[in-house]
Amino acid sequence: MLEVVAVDTVMRALADPTRRAVYERIAAGDEVTVVELTRAVGVTQGAVSQHLKSLRLAGLVADRAQGRNVYYRARPEGLAPLIDWMDHYGAFWRERFASLRTLLKEIDS
Amino acid sequence: MIETPVETDVQRIVLDEVFPHTPEVLWRALTTGDLIGRWLMPPLGFEAVEGREFTFQTKPAGPWDGVIQCRILEVVPYKQFAFVWRGGHEDNLGYGSRLNTVVTFTLEAAPGGTRLRLVHTGFELPRNAFAFKNMSEGWPSRVALLATVAAGPH
Repeated sequence: MLEVVAVDTVMRALADPTRRAVYERIAAGDEVTVVELTRAVGVTQGAVSQHLKSLRLAGLVADRAQGRNVYYRARPEGLAPLIDWMDHYGAFWRERFASLRTLLKEIDS
Repeated sequence: MIETPVETDVQRIVLDEVFPHTPEVLWRALTTGDLIGRWLMPPLGFEAVEGREFTFQTKPAGPWDGVIQCRILEVVPYKQFAFVWRGGHEDNLGYGSRLNTVVTFTLEAAPGGTRLRLVHTGFELPRNAFAFKNMSEGWPSRVALLATVAAGPH
């Protein structure tokens, strides 16, 4: 399920430079078609479609069919795992602050 | 409206705590090489002088030797201490990716002691996501988190 996409899935989806370029192009506007993306990114339409599939599975983009076109848009909430992850990184400093607190007790008594 | 962070989105870590000690004692722990080694990591070549370069040795990754290159930006005794925290390599993605950040400590008298504020800024998501990940190494919850991630569907 999209709601439980792990942070490494999101990282992996954005690790590929071309896929990231696709994502950034989508995130830059409201909605975009595969044709427009293909023109903007400069790879084959087949490749763009593959990248879109990965991005969709990672919860980073959503699509909407209208007539003969499919429109893609970014899901900002798809980046939440990365942001959450970052909150955990603050733990590095929190842990160090705890060590600092202990050290201060030792040197200031 | 939610803004959409993209590759160049710059993030920061902020920590703000009051320690029951004088600014002088806190300052000594933050700016003395031996003492830094006892709560953060042992620095090499450290001296609390603006412009001074020093390093921390961490785990290497790919073409990166694991050395964090630091350069002191600001030394305002008992008030502010800032340094550049650089590492990683362009060829690495995730852990060991190029990192160009700044660590700033600010001290301020507070009831019952000294308020210490840490701002670690310049992280870029998602490129530096793994650098954060590494920084939380040794933290039990991270292990639990990783286990969850590893066990999850891919």
